[in-house]
Amino acid sequence: MQLVRMVGLALAVVVALLFAVFVGDQGPWYFAWVVGTVMIVLTASAGAVLFEAQHQGSEVKDI
Amino acid sequence: MDYYEVVKLIWGALLCVLFIGLGLMVGMDMGVGTLLRLVGRNDGERRTMLNIIGPHWDGNQVWFVLGGGAIFAAFPTLYATSFSVFYVVMIMLLFSMILRPVAFEYRSKADSRRWKASWDWVFLISGFVPMFIYGAAFGNVMQGVGYHYDWLGQYYQDETFLSYLLNPFAILCGLMAVSLSVYQGGAMLMLRSEEPIYGRARRYAMGGGVIAALLFVVGGFRIFSMSGYVLTGTVDPAMAANPMHGQEVARVTGAWLAHYYDYPLLWLFPAFGVISMLAGVLSLKANAPVVGWWGGLGAWIGTIGSVAVSMFPFLMPSSTMPDESLTVWNATGSAYGLTCMLIVVLIFMPIILSYTSWCYYVMRGKVRVEDVVQDPHSY
Amino acid sequence: MHSINPMVVDLSRFQFALTALYHFMFVPLTLGLTFFLAAIETVYVVTGKQVYKDMAQFWGKLFGINFAIGVATGITMEFEFGTNWSMYSHFFGDMFGTPLAIEGLMAFFMESTFVGLMFFGWDRLSRQAHLAVTFLVALGSNLSALWILVANAAMNVPQGAHFDPDTMRMQSDSIVQVIFNPDAQAKFVHTSVAGYVTAAMFVMGISAFYILQGRNKEFAARSFRMAAIFGIISTVAVITLGDVLGRLDYEHQPTKIAAIEGLWENSHPPYEPWLAFAIPDDEKQKNHLEVGIPFVLSPLVTHSFDTTIIGMKELQTQAEPRITSGIQALVALHHYDQTHSATALAEFRAHEADMGFGFLAMKHAPGQDVAAITEDQMQSVVDATKPDILPNVFVTFWSFRIMVVLSLWFFLLFALGAYVSLKNRLNRNHLLLKLCLWSIPLPILATEFGWITAEAGRQPWTVFNFLPTYLSASSHGVSYMVFSLAGFALLYSIFIAAELFLMFKFARLGPEHDAHHAQSASVHVVPDDVFVTGMGD
Repeated sequence: MQLVRMVGLALAVVVALLFAVFVGDQGPWYFAWVVGTVMIVLTASAGAVLFEAQHQGSEVKDI
Repeated sequence: MDYYEVVKLIWGALLCVLFIGLGLMVGMDMGVGTLLRLVGRNDGERRTMLNIIGPHWDGNQVWFVLGGGAIFAAFPTLYATSFSVFYVVMIMLLFSMILRPVAFEYRSKADSRRWKASWDWVFLISGFVPMFIYGAAFGNVMQGVGYHYDWLGQYYQDETFLSYLLNPFAILCGLMAVSLSVYQGGAMLMLRSEEPIYGRARRYAMGGGVIAALLFVVGGFRIFSMSGYVLTGTVDPAMAANPMHGQEVARVTGAWLAHYYDYPLLWLFPAFGVISMLAGVLSLKANAPVVGWWGGLGAWIGTIGSVAVSMFPFLMPSSTMPDESLTVWNATGSAYGLTCMLIVVLIFMPIILSYTSWCYYVMRGKVRVEDVVQDPHSY
Repeated sequence: MHSINPMVVDLSRFQFALTALYHFMFVPLTLGLTFFLAAIETVYVVTGKQVYKDMAQFWGKLFGINFAIGVATGITMEFEFGTNWSMYSHFFGDMFGTPLAIEGLMAFFMESTFVGLMFFGWDRLSRQAHLAVTFLVALGSNLSALWILVANAAMNVPQGAHFDPDTMRMQSDSIVQVIFNPDAQAKFVHTSVAGYVTAAMFVMGISAFYILQGRNKEFAARSFRMAAIFGIISTVAVITLGDVLGRLDYEHQPTKIAAIEGLWENSHPPYEPWLAFAIPDDEKQKNHLEVGIPFVLSPLVTHSFDTTIIGMKELQTQAEPRITSGIQALVALHHYDQTHSATALAEFRAHEADMGFGFLAMKHAPGQDVAAITEDQMQSVVDATKPDILPNVFVTFWSFRIMVVLSLWFFLLFALGAYVSLKNRLNRNHLLLKLCLWSIPLPILATEFGWITAEAGRQPWTVFNFLPTYLSASSHGVSYMVFSLAGFALLYSIFIAAELFLMFKFARLGPEHDAHHAQSASVHVVPDDVFVTGMGD
């Protein structure tokens, strides 16, 4: 099971690398979109996590 | 055989697969829509019916969109001509189709009785009309359509649209498609519902199956005395895809049966269709809706297969200028374009089929009225 | 040869513009809200806090109301190429149909299949699996946009295809060139990210509404925070890509960029002003009431201080020889079609590159037959055709400016919103909250005007430099158009009324409306199994 998971992850990494090399070369903006979208989603999520940290332990008063 | 000829043939076959997928999957949802007011006697029951196909109707509808897209890409001239020649009917099909997504999403989001009742009628219209037009289009195409081209490839219509609307054979084909959709929708309802929806759906589905089989046989006999089209001169199947040059066509009574006489084994197609419909009805009677559902697939394979065998290689014959009839040989895209599309289909079709089945697997099981009514997120 | 009825062409254009703009009111929100939902669910998976599930479900419900019309009106677009643009579909179908079909296979199927699971699968999937499903919906809807814009880029900057005189149409010869068309790349990112902006503004505005009313504080503060951050990065990206698109237009569509900038004469770098205000007069070919900012135009468009941008009058003059040559191309093509003679083909090949301009001249030829143009008529036909190569300058000029001003406004609003939210001072800034609320429809307006800039600026072509718009329409009569236009007007009015009714209803009701259900659902402890919790029994 562990091995299957490792192989699966390795495959995903290889596909991602191939994608990055090919699309990054042929279509830089497509590549930028993939990276940028992931970044936008994660940054927005980080904003929420920061919100939780800011209000930890206390009731939400100042928003 | 020339390579171009082979890809043209493959795309002809894929077109049939698309028509079968469309009839089966979209037909199923349309059938549920047609049956909504008949099988569902109160709001709870109707909502249950909608939620049975709720997770799937949008995916199924893509068969329809894909049908349009594939004809556009693989048979550009057919797309350009047929959609324009059938303008009035196509726009009616479009109007009834686009009501459906909205009806699904909006019907149960307000509590007013009149609001819901209005959307219930929309379901009837958007279930019945598209399937009827789908079938009727086949009927019209088999009889030939009045159009011709100028030298640049622009089509010109030679008939009024009334001749498509008021055409007995086309109406028969349209009703047959509606019956099959009622059959399929009923079978799906049986799979996922309990009494009393189950019992009512069963009655309507069995009725739909029997009527479909009857109409199919009647239509088959009509073909004997109908004008078909045959290629007279020799045609190069690998010709440049241009309907203005390179073929001679004649209108001959009963010509649509020529292939059946030449290769009697082909009678298996219509036979398979009728048997599937009847066997499906019997298994619904025996409370085996799973078998019945797959019987619906057999029915569509038999029906579309029979039409394809009759008409091959014609896609849409021209009644006013038979020499410019569209065939598998002269209406396709370029060899390069067809190859690209084929590769894409080979990659994505298996993926699509597997995640679609997974969705059905996740959402399997009976949908109960109480659950639907309590869930604020259901349709 | 039948002659073309200009009334049918105009009505077809009107109908297409109407239905496309209507469709495009709903698309951007779908593109952005799906990824926004994925962001919310990511936090839900990471923190496990119920409020994020409530957020995902509530915004998901509003997404669904919007999504339904987006799907419905999208079907219209696919039909209309066949029903109303028959000649275009024949001429360009081999090239244009392929991305549309791939869109169905690769993207639309994925989006539509998983959207069912996204709505109905909450109790049947683990949190992680549901998150994956939401990501697939987001990816699917954006890939849809990708393929549509690949197709659109093929109209604007045709590459990867050639005209084939044996089939009288463009045939594709390089799918790679079609997919990696620079115009497609920039346009896709620009459009997709404009969708993110639309969604962020939508969420931020409605959250501001709750904060103003003092309701759902927990819910609204988190939504606001996420939307503001989502929005500010997206806005920066939209503006960047807008600049890239301008550069591409400058290289590939000189008439479009000249019209956008209202540039009738060649520019004078470096001091050429960028026109902030002007009233372009298409008839007299000049601008009234120009107000410009000097030294801005050249670096803005060309990224240099010494490159001249060619003005529209000069572009007209440059088109003259191409029109004459295009007429010869068409005459030779017709001759080749009748005889298949090698000399006719050679003659056609010599003028092939200008064929599109010959099509343009057809409109002004006696009996719309270029072969009938005599020696002494030639100059008058060329003169009549010349102004046709320009788009409507007034429309292109102003829709571009409205889009740009709005995007700067979004930048300001998101920047302030993100700052105030990070400082936790939202409920002390009522003016900002009100501005956010009122700005909800503005991104939709901006994307619409962006679309108008791109497509009005493409005129008079459907396939740039190859096929003019007036030649592309179907050959049916006016009555057909009246029938379909009346139907669209009726149906689309009902749709928008129903959608606004429901949007306002559920936005006003707020997330507390289905809170009791969410409470009961949260009792479920979700095991780590990726696929399923309770089966349907």
